[in-house]
Amino acid sequence: MSGCPYFQAKFVSSSIQHLTEDENNDSQTGVNKASKGGLIYGDYLQLDKIVTSQVLQSELKGNKIHDEHLFIVTHQAYELWFKQVLWELDSVREIFISGHVRDERNMLKVNTRINRIVMIFRLLLDQFAVLETMTAIDFFDFREYLSPASGFQSLQFRLLENKIGVPHNQRVPYNRRHYRDNFRGEESELLIRSEQELTLLQLVEQWLERTPGLEEDGFNFFGKLQTNIFKGLDGEKEKIEQNPETKEEMMAEFIKHRDVFLSLFDEKRHDHLLSTGQRRLSYKALQGALMIYFYREEPRFQVPFQLLTSLMDIDTLMTKWRYNHVCMVHRMLGSKAGTGGSSGYQYLRSTVSDRYKVFVDLFNLATFLVPREWVPKLNPTEHSFLYTAECCDSSYCSSDDSD
Amino acid sequence: MSGCPFLGRKHQLFSINSSQPEEDDSQKGINKASKGGIVYGEYLQLDKVLSAQVLQSQQKGDKIHDEHLFIITHQAYELWFKQILWELDSVRELFTKNHVRDERNMLKVVSRIHRITMIFKLLVEQFAVLETMTSLDFFDFRQYLSVASGFQSFQFRLLESKIGVANHLRVAYNRQHYRDNFHGQESETLLRSEQEPNLLQLVEEWLERTPGLERDGFNFWGKLQANIEEGLKLEKQKLEGMSDSEEKGDMLEDLKKQTEVFTALFDPSRHEHLLNKGERRLSYEALQGALMINFYREEPRFQVPFQLLTALMEIDTLMSKWRYNHVCMVHRMIGSKAGTGGSSGYCYLRSTVSDRYKVFVDLFNLAAFLVPRAWVPKLNPQIHNFHYMAECYDSSYNSYSSEDSD
Repeated sequence: MSGCPYFQAKFVSSSIQHLTEDENNDSQTGVNKASKGGLIYGDYLQLDKIVTSQVLQSELKGNKIHDEHLFIVTHQAYELWFKQVLWELDSVREIFISGHVRDERNMLKVNTRINRIVMIFRLLLDQFAVLETMTAIDFFDFREYLSPASGFQSLQFRLLENKIGVPHNQRVPYNRRHYRDNFRGEESELLIRSEQELTLLQLVEQWLERTPGLEEDGFNFFGKLQTNIFKGLDGEKEKIEQNPETKEEMMAEFIKHRDVFLSLFDEKRHDHLLSTGQRRLSYKALQGALMIYFYREEPRFQVPFQLLTSLMDIDTLMTKWRYNHVCMVHRMLGSKAGTGGSSGYQYLRSTVSDRYKVFVDLFNLATFLVPREWVPKLNPTEHSFLYTAECCDSSYCSSDDSD
Repeated sequence: MSGCPFLGRKHQLFSINSSQPEEDDSQKGINKASKGGIVYGEYLQLDKVLSAQVLQSQQKGDKIHDEHLFIITHQAYELWFKQILWELDSVRELFTKNHVRDERNMLKVVSRIHRITMIFKLLVEQFAVLETMTSLDFFDFRQYLSVASGFQSFQFRLLESKIGVANHLRVAYNRQHYRDNFHGQESETLLRSEQEPNLLQLVEEWLERTPGLERDGFNFWGKLQANIEEGLKLEKQKLEGMSDSEEKGDMLEDLKKQTEVFTALFDPSRHEHLLNKGERRLSYEALQGALMINFYREEPRFQVPFQLLTALMEIDTLMSKWRYNHVCMVHRMIGSKAGTGGSSGYCYLRSTVSDRYKVFVDLFNLAAFLVPRAWVPKLNPQIHNFHYMAECYDSSYNSYSSEDSD
């Protein structure tokens, strides 16, 4: 063969005429306003700040590594979205703290914003796939220039955790000892304040405790439920005793089943689990949540039910976020230590745990689901509180405020 | 009923004991934060990035909550546009510097083009977040946006230009006005991006060099034409030998259409005509190269080039989906009102969801020319070894060592 088969063909440019106008005229009408003054896109978004903040450490040190740019942009995108989540979270907390949530017209806003947080977390989860196009080999080429920068120093991430309700004393020890050490001055103060101010969990707890129908001198949901469940269980027991062949096996199952419900009505047990951190909501709040679950189709509880679902979605997505992060770090570092000083992969793995699940009680409600017939019946004439909220105490604030 | 059933209750704080200690390994470590060197926030210049959110509604004394989401979403898009440009320029440079002639660089090229598609996937998914804003909420602050419009997104235009969106193919309003939005440095950069080789042109030159096209060598095109003509002739004979039926008539009709398609394929002047109309974008020679890579994609030398062609089509598809998602959302937000930039808004955007903006349209159209495997010219490993590993290194090539990170 004579030489290499690759030839170079010069680019042939043909003269190309303008295309005929075959579009619908309407779509092509308009007056370009760019020259008419006023804030333009780049200024509105302060892109001069955003688009000039990518400085590669590898380049500064004279060894520019291509993939470092992706690393920087990915983290900056995460931080932009963390800011957005905090914006929504704080606005929701404010609606509760200011008492505005007592005007049930604000529930739509609360729900919409919590759902928005869920949507953002879904995106943040998808974002890992982009960074995963970087290989461990490419990361190794610039990792040395990063030290000691580490995600451990992400203020917004910690604020987010705190404001949702991750409790300080539930953090895994390395995190507990050191997580605030990373921050000084104003940042440290902000962080401390976020631990002390009312978290989303605490505000939702207070709200749940106020669920209509819990009053013992009113509808008395829990009392009625207990009665119905025990009656139902008695009925089941009788049926089992009637059938001698399967009796032994089914009795064992029954006892387990019964014990689960016994535990539900054992307030002392709940308090014990609260003290070990396995439960987070107060006993009364738990009852409120169960009430909303069982009567979710009642108009007044429909949006509250959606809210409880979205709160669980947040926990689920944060856990998935932590796990995706772990998997990626494992791929990048194997078992090396993290730049922030932790054991890296091992440490992160330990944070994928129910300790960090804020609304764990809502998940556990599924343990206590009962057949529909056991749920205390509502009488529409007597129990009108379940329909649209009619009362508007004059002490409530009006919701004209956009926030 | 006495008053409202909602009761207030003081929050009771529980004292919680510390839980069991974890396994030691995961909890080991020394916090390095105090040891000097760049920290996270400085590394990422978060002081700049996180202070760039200024609500116009708030400036004008009527703070609207949802404007923050609007700002963040667009800023996130622009960050990712920057990343795409970073990858795109590095790939274009591999071609313009001829480093791509060292086939070891193909892995880098494909990885980066693939990365661009992954970013575009994310950008398409990102719409769902902004869609949590209702048109009512948007209406509350839209007036404060004044003339700011996506029309003025410099990076978006650069992106289009560098991939290969052709100016003369832009829809009329776009064609007339898209550069009006930029002045000085930005306008010059935009102009330059139209003049410098774009990804389409670079890929075209690369395709024209596909081994196997040489008339005095393997002569893929000549062989293919002969095989197809032979194959079609045999098919026709078979059909004509069948007993008459309605089915036979239909099949003969289909064969006739198929024959027309292939006749057109082998007609260079027809290709020129379609190029002029803008319905094709690649040169005739490049088209042949693409078809060659497609048919012989399993040959080791063509495997990664085939992945590249697939990724290029993926970019077009995703940009198309991006445009369409954008259209749907805008429709929901402003109905048929005009855009802040002055265009007809929804109608204008709708018109850009079109094959005019499909850069690698020819690659998609190759599917029309697929033939049964038996018709593909056979490769004889003894004679035709060019399609195995690239062994030759012409000294006129840049011996490009791929140690350079870029």
